[in-house]
Amino acid sequence: MKRASLWLVSMLIAASTLAVPGPTAAAYPAHVWSNSDAFKATCLGYNDTYPQQLYSLSVTQLANRGFGPISGALGAGFTRSALLNNVLSDWAVYVHSHGDNYWAASGYPNVDSGVLQDPGAGRCNSSSDIIRSSSIRSATQGSYYNIVIMSTCMLGSSSSTMPAAFQIDKTKQSNDPEFYLGYVYHTWDSSSLRFEEAFWSYINGGASRTLSGAYAYASGIGGYEPVGSEPFQANWWGNPYYDGAPQRPTAR
Amino acid sequence: MRISSCSRNLKWAAGTAAVTICLVGSAGQIAAATLVAGSSRAGVATPTRVGVTLDANTDSAIFAREGKTRDALGFPVGVKRIGQHVRDGFQKAEYDEVTELDSGGNVEAITDFDATGHLRTAVRLDPAPQGGPNVGRDAAIRTAQRSAVAAGLGVGTPSSTDADEAIGGWTIHWLRMQDGVRVRGDETRVQVRPDGRIASVALAQHDLDPAAVRRLGSDDARQVATGNLNSWFAGRNSGYSIQKVDLEWVGPNAAFDPSQVDAPERPYRLAWVTEVKPSGDAAKYVWQISLFVDATDGSIIGGDFVE
Repeated sequence: MKRASLWLVSMLIAASTLAVPGPTAAAYPAHVWSNSDAFKATCLGYNDTYPQQLYSLSVTQLANRGFGPISGALGAGFTRSALLNNVLSDWAVYVHSHGDNYWAASGYPNVDSGVLQDPGAGRCNSSSDIIRSSSIRSATQGSYYNIVIMSTCMLGSSSSTMPAAFQIDKTKQSNDPEFYLGYVYHTWDSSSLRFEEAFWSYINGGASRTLSGAYAYASGIGGYEPVGSEPFQANWWGNPYYDGAPQRPTAR
Repeated sequence: MRISSCSRNLKWAAGTAAVTICLVGSAGQIAAATLVAGSSRAGVATPTRVGVTLDANTDSAIFAREGKTRDALGFPVGVKRIGQHVRDGFQKAEYDEVTELDSGGNVEAITDFDATGHLRTAVRLDPAPQGGPNVGRDAAIRTAQRSAVAAGLGVGTPSSTDADEAIGGWTIHWLRMQDGVRVRGDETRVQVRPDGRIASVALAQHDLDPAAVRRLGSDDARQVATGNLNSWFAGRNSGYSIQKVDLEWVGPNAAFDPSQVDAPERPYRLAWVTEVKPSGDAAKYVWQISLFVDATDGSIIGGDFVE
């Protein structure tokens, strides 16, 4: 792996010295993934419209922050291999799906958080569709991420291992330009949409606005329906002063 | 935060479009991404947020209202205030917003008022002090009650109080009832920081359809829901159980109807909210479903999902 990486870097340095026409401005690739086929008529008898709404919102808003190209998939293109093969080059990642803190045989607190890939057109999810945080962590190879949003249940809880898959510590005092967002408990889709709309609205409100401020604003507007006895709660970790624009860690 | 130099180099290299051409062509490790097809974005309206600056003289009443709210909640006084009338396509709302800024231009607090001048939300955004003792539940409730009243919101005994895992502290809720019927999602809500200061105050409130009347009983609604659920789950190795059927005011939504995705928000209607727990295969990816059965005509006017 290391040799292959070194070879790649060598190739890149060589390639960058060639007079290749085209843009040379920095690009900050991002992927937006949304599981929709598990929530379609084939599996539930009706078509749930929330995966499309959340996908569209995040695609436009990550582009607005300056990330690009924005790739990913709504539906069948959201597979384990697509996510794992592309995540290394990403600066921002968004996932909307079923998410949970799955049991792990080893490692405190015996949790390996995961999300379900899209099962594919005409198919429904099974436990074999889990993309575990341990797999994502291997694929990210210690690399750096600006924004990670897990628009799923449970992956913003204190026991979630998903932030570590992207090298984001569970602190609200990070000095690097990084931000992880997730929901603490089970969450109604309408609450996710309400929260994320308010979150992006705030950050579009002017200069000097931060993602942690967007979190506080979106949390602060209220109006979120609990799921049984579980209140709606979102959570974040990262840098309290980060404004969500693409940024390399060494630029600070 | 750990960054391997190798990976950083790879990501850095991938950061120029010209170099990416080589990458995609030569390395399976960083395969060409699945580009978002035009069709994925087709028909999707990009929300916009348009702010028109408020004038300190002609809009002085709004600034005065904000100052009163800010002081009532103990929010910091900025060195500069900015006011905007906001047409918010994200939240599908229109409101006046006043922002308190510190000397560095950082947002310290933000307060929104609706078209009638009533408080929508006030949020404190300056950094919370680290460490120190955490405020207790009862003290937090007392602070929340006192602050809500001072901000002009009538509250009594709270409906519920939650420990806040994200910021510490507590969130206190007063649910909205209309004629003895709950308005789904509507509430007065106060967040209290661990140090006992107010983090936010909000009044979430929607218009109610005056023409909505209850003509269906809960048994009728259950029958409507069961009819839909039986057809949905038939032959899918999945089952369901209806956990409860409650009368609520609800917002008609696009949950089951893609044609309503970009529709303007409509007044809330009376509906029998049927809470459904899937079983079998569906339980692996859907935790809960709610169906809104219109209490006037028995139609399905929306719903919700916990995926």
